[in-house]
Parts: sequence; C-alpha cells; structure tokens
Amino acid sequence: MLSEAVRNRILIVDDEELIVLAMRRYFEGLGYTVDSAYELEEAQALLANRRYDLVIADLRLTGIGGVEGLQIVADIHQRSSETRVILLSAYGTPEIERESYNRGADAFLHKPKSMMEIANVAVNLLEHL
Amino acid sequence: MTESALNRILQPGAITPVYQPIFRVNGGAPSIEGVECLSRGPKGTNFESAAVLFEYVRLKREESLVDRACIAAAFRGASSLPATLRLGLNVHASTLGRDHGFIPFLQSTAAATGIALSRVIIEIVEHAPPWDGLSFQSTLEQLRELGMAIALDDIGLGQSNFKMLLDVRPDYLKLDRYFVDGCAGDPHRRAVITALRTLARDFDAEIVAEGVENAADAGTLQGLGITLMQGFHFAHPVAADAVHEF
Repeated sequence: MLSEAVRNRILIVDDEELIVLAMRRYFEGLGYTVDSAYELEEAQALLANRRYDLVIADLRLTGIGGVEGLQIVADIHQRSSETRVILLSAYGTPEIERESYNRGADAFLHKPKSMMEIANVAVNLLEHL
Repeated sequence: MTESALNRILQPGAITPVYQPIFRVNGGAPSIEGVECLSRGPKGTNFESAAVLFEYVRLKREESLVDRACIAAAFRGASSLPATLRLGLNVHASTLGRDHGFIPFLQSTAAATGIALSRVIIEIVEHAPPWDGLSFQSTLEQLRELGMAIALDDIGLGQSNFKMLLDVRPDYLKLDRYFVDGCAGDPHRRAVITALRTLARDFDAEIVAEGVENAADAGTLQGLGITLMQGFHFAHPVAADAVHEF
C-alpha cells in the first residue's frame, strides 16, 4: 500500500550502475525512499548512520560471492534486527542459499530476475514489517 | 562497474569546506574566537553527509588521504578568514600515528594558503588503535613545536578516555553534544560536565562545549564555568565568506 510505502526506506547495494538506477527509479516510483551504494564499505557507512526497512544486496559485492560475503546480513541486523534483507546472486549455490537463510536473510533470489519479481518480494516483506 | 567512491572523494574540488564558529561566552555578547573546519563530500552522493563520509573512509582505512584532502580544502577556504581566528582541524589519530609525511604536508599547505600554523588547533578524532604510539607522540611534539594546539574530540565517549588524556595532554577538551544536550534540566549531565571541567583545569586545558542548541543549555554551561561553545544556538556551519557575519 502506498500510504505505508512512503515511510519505508530501502538501501540497494550493487556495483552495476544500470541495475541500481533501474531499481531506484522503480521503487521511488512506488513511493519508497531509496538510497544506493556501489561498494560494500559505502553500504556499511550508510547502515551505520541510517535506519533501513529493507536492504537489497548483490551477494557478489558483499565479498567474494561465497559464504564469507554473508557477513553483510549480520552487519545489517547488528544495526537493526527489524531490517529485512534480500540477497541477489548470479552464482549462488544451494549451500550459500541455505546459509543465507540460516544467517537471517529474508529472501535469496537467483539472478537474473525481473524488476517485477524483485519488487513483489520486496513489497511483500515491507508490508509485513 | 562504477568509479571508486574514494576516487570521487579525492578529486580536486570534491570536498567542500564549511566552518562552524566557536564563541567565547563570558557575560557580555558572545564573541567569535575561532572556527571548526568541517568537510562535506561530493555533492549529490551519500558522502555529502560527513558521518557517512568518515565512516566510509575509516572502513577503507584511508583516513590519512582524506584527512589531507579535507585540510587542503579547509586551508584554501580559510585563507579569506580574519587572521585572528583559530582554525580547528579534525585529524584522525591514525593519521598522526602512521602518516610520516603529515607534518611536511601541513607546513607546505599552510604556507601555500597563507595560514599561520600558530592559528591551528589539531582536533584528534577517532582514537581507536591500531597505530604506532611512538610515532603518534613524536607527531604531537612536532605539532606543538610548530605552535599548534591540540584538542581531544568527543571527550568522555568511546576511545576518548583517561588514557588518551594522559597520552595527549590536550590544550582543549571538546565536550560532546551527548553531555551538553539537555544539561539545563539534567543534574547528572551537569555532574559529568563539572567533573570534566575540574579535570580540564588540572590539565591546564579549556573545555569547548559542542552541540549547544538552546539558551537554557548555554546559560547552564556558562554557570558551570564553560565559556567556549559551538552549536546551532550560536551558528550553523557556514561557507568561509559567511563567517565574517559573526
């Protein structure tokens, strides 16, 4: 619902500028406030200073794409346990996907995914905050 | 792939300096005594927020590079300020402990912009180790020999503790807004401020109260013997050409 969406703040973490811009436009069009980060440290600096309702992060950017990269989920929940987390991965193995959920990710999406598919998962998570 | 954010931050002109006046409040009208030089990152980026900028820089462990960029920008902007004003520069403790070229950089940049180093107060921020303790002490000595004063930022918070106080022997203690905000109505805050004031006197140092946002807190601080203050009650950070209005 837009009236709820207006107060939600989303952080998009991805180093592909076109993907970030597309997601940003899409979610802003739905009434969300959107920040974006192109590097892990930029995302961590934002997380240290702002509260987000949802973080959508490309797992590759969070490290080397493996289990080690899942540290971002802990980083996010250390700041706010309420923040929902969607991880995107083009190379996610079943092990990484399982470990993502074990560590508290709310969704793990295999790339490529359409904007509509990502948005459906995001909006569903935000509506159940 | 996008250009590294660090590269964007370090581009010439990417850092915008602003200056927050520091006032002496001693009975009569407040008089400006100096400014704290603050930095804003590239416009239109997340780094316009100083908090995000410096958190990022610390995560990248590039404090020294960015400290230098901020100081160069601050000196350029401050060259038009009255020569009577002190200039507070924020410098990471790790820069003082690790950057062996920092003092020559400071000297050459000051000379190029016509800033007398005797006006400069080095405000030490983010004291978290690791850094080389001996090198840190040596740098402090050199700064003092060149006529600069030393301030310890965020006194009473985090790593800005008694050990740091002994190691640095600062000329100024910067009292964080955490203690200042609401001190007029909080006897416990006043107790902490009183204790720090006594400590400052014993160290022959002065307290600068940060984050003073209303007359009640300003009056309370003055009553407690704190006369150097900065905060929105007196002035927001402004561009160099607006400092003369104070």
